[in-house]
Amino acid sequence: MTVRARGLRKSFRSLTKTQEVLKGIDLDVAPGEVVGLIGPNGAGKTTLMSCLLGFLDPDEGEITIDGRANDDLDVRRRSGFVPERMNFERRLTGGEFLRYMARLAGVPSAAVHARTNAMLERLGIADAATKRLSQYSRGMLQRIGMCQALIHEPQYLFLDEPTSGLDPNGVLLVRDLIAEQKQRGAAVLLNSHQLAEIEKVCDRVLFLRDGLIARMETLRHVDRVIVAITLLPGFDAAAVEKITGTAPRGNLVVATVESEAAIADVVRALVGSGAGVIDVRRHTADLEGIFRGAA
Amino acid sequence: MSWVVYSETVRRHFASIAYWSLIALMAIVAFGTARFDTPGAAWPPLITLLAIIAGCAPIGPELSTGTLQLILVKPVNRSAYLLSRVAGVVTVIWIAGIIATVAELLGRAVMNKPMHATILGTTLLNVATTSVLVVSLLVFFASFTRAYYNAAIYVGLQIVLGIVMALVAMGRRYPTVSRALQQVMNNLFPEEPRALDTPWLLMVLSNAAVALVLACLIFRRREVPYGGD
Repeated sequence: MTVRARGLRKSFRSLTKTQEVLKGIDLDVAPGEVVGLIGPNGAGKTTLMSCLLGFLDPDEGEITIDGRANDDLDVRRRSGFVPERMNFERRLTGGEFLRYMARLAGVPSAAVHARTNAMLERLGIADAATKRLSQYSRGMLQRIGMCQALIHEPQYLFLDEPTSGLDPNGVLLVRDLIAEQKQRGAAVLLNSHQLAEIEKVCDRVLFLRDGLIARMETLRHVDRVIVAITLLPGFDAAAVEKITGTAPRGNLVVATVESEAAIADVVRALVGSGAGVIDVRRHTADLEGIFRGAA
Repeated sequence: MSWVVYSETVRRHFASIAYWSLIALMAIVAFGTARFDTPGAAWPPLITLLAIIAGCAPIGPELSTGTLQLILVKPVNRSAYLLSRVAGVVTVIWIAGIIATVAELLGRAVMNKPMHATILGTTLLNVATTSVLVVSLLVFFASFTRAYYNAAIYVGLQIVLGIVMALVAMGRRYPTVSRALQQVMNNLFPEEPRALDTPWLLMVLSNAAVALVLACLIFRRREVPYGGD
């Protein structure tokens, strides 16, 4: 179950010019992996997402999802998509819209009502189920957008700015939902300008610039944990390097361990060597710095 | 065909106040004009109007608002979606036609006028057939345009063809062109006969089928971009 793209190229042509937006993109999103897509405006993120979803035909390259074409109906049955701006027939109520989406996605008729109610409840908009979409705020539309994408428990999830217009509670909720999807093995591609969110939920991040993946950064490893340990000055650098496997930079040492349980062992060993440990935290990349550098 | 799309299209019209208002207007007009000697004198144009209003909504406006993109990621074949929307719209138009016919029959019964049931039945059949062509053409135009350009093309084409035909006829120098234009007009915007005319029915239905096949072919390959980087 992998979202896979190879050598994607896409140009837009007008009478006077041709603009190459994607210039050869390779991409993989594995099951249970959340991959973030970031880059400056015009980098090609939405075009890439549109190609993956089958809205646009790439000029060159291949897209497969679980080994099948992206427009395969079985692939669609297991795909979910949240657009940046949720637009739909505004006269429908939230409940009507969601039931229609659930039936289209192939949710069994008997389960449609229960699933709809459960999703509305989960996203905190159960009270608005009978309200027309025209009366929904931007944040509520975004929440119902998440509902329609998740109602059939998709295996491949494409999220375009899912936290856009959400209040802090909504942002936390979306973060939890993404974590849940990851836990149940869904492959998630997240397009966002919210670097802090990307940092918190993504395993890997791809920096798009001028239609190319300029940089790929792994934020979380599936089989190991990276921790940043801050030490009191005056420690034995050689001993610290021997224990952690990396040389300290100033009073900071970034160590790679096999599991979260192993962090305590490393800390114990450091303390045993005479080093004073004042802070231990999971290490994440400085996305803002990388974004500035890559952009 | 997708039953989900078809039933949702019908349901949405049934839930629309505008739809029932137009039907009420049609029924009143049909009932009121029952005192005329000519059966089916006033309501058929309203059915065509309803066909234009309801028929221009699928595809084009859905693409512009982003609605279509949400649907196309679901497991629905594009052609099945298009045909189901057409079937749903045609169904609600036919229902409107049946209600108008019943209203006129009721009016005739109340006013002690001849029922003309056969003529009214034929009128309903002809109007229903025309509505299939109207919706099919609108969906065909929508398959390669955005928003409500399909309605603009439909109405604009009818006006432009009418003007060109009138100009050519005034000149009386190009009878072949004039006949060709008349043929195009008859095929795209046919006038309903007053009696049962099987070849006419077949012509209208086959034109509608051609429009739908072309619409499906274009829509299947159409790119549906959303948003912007």
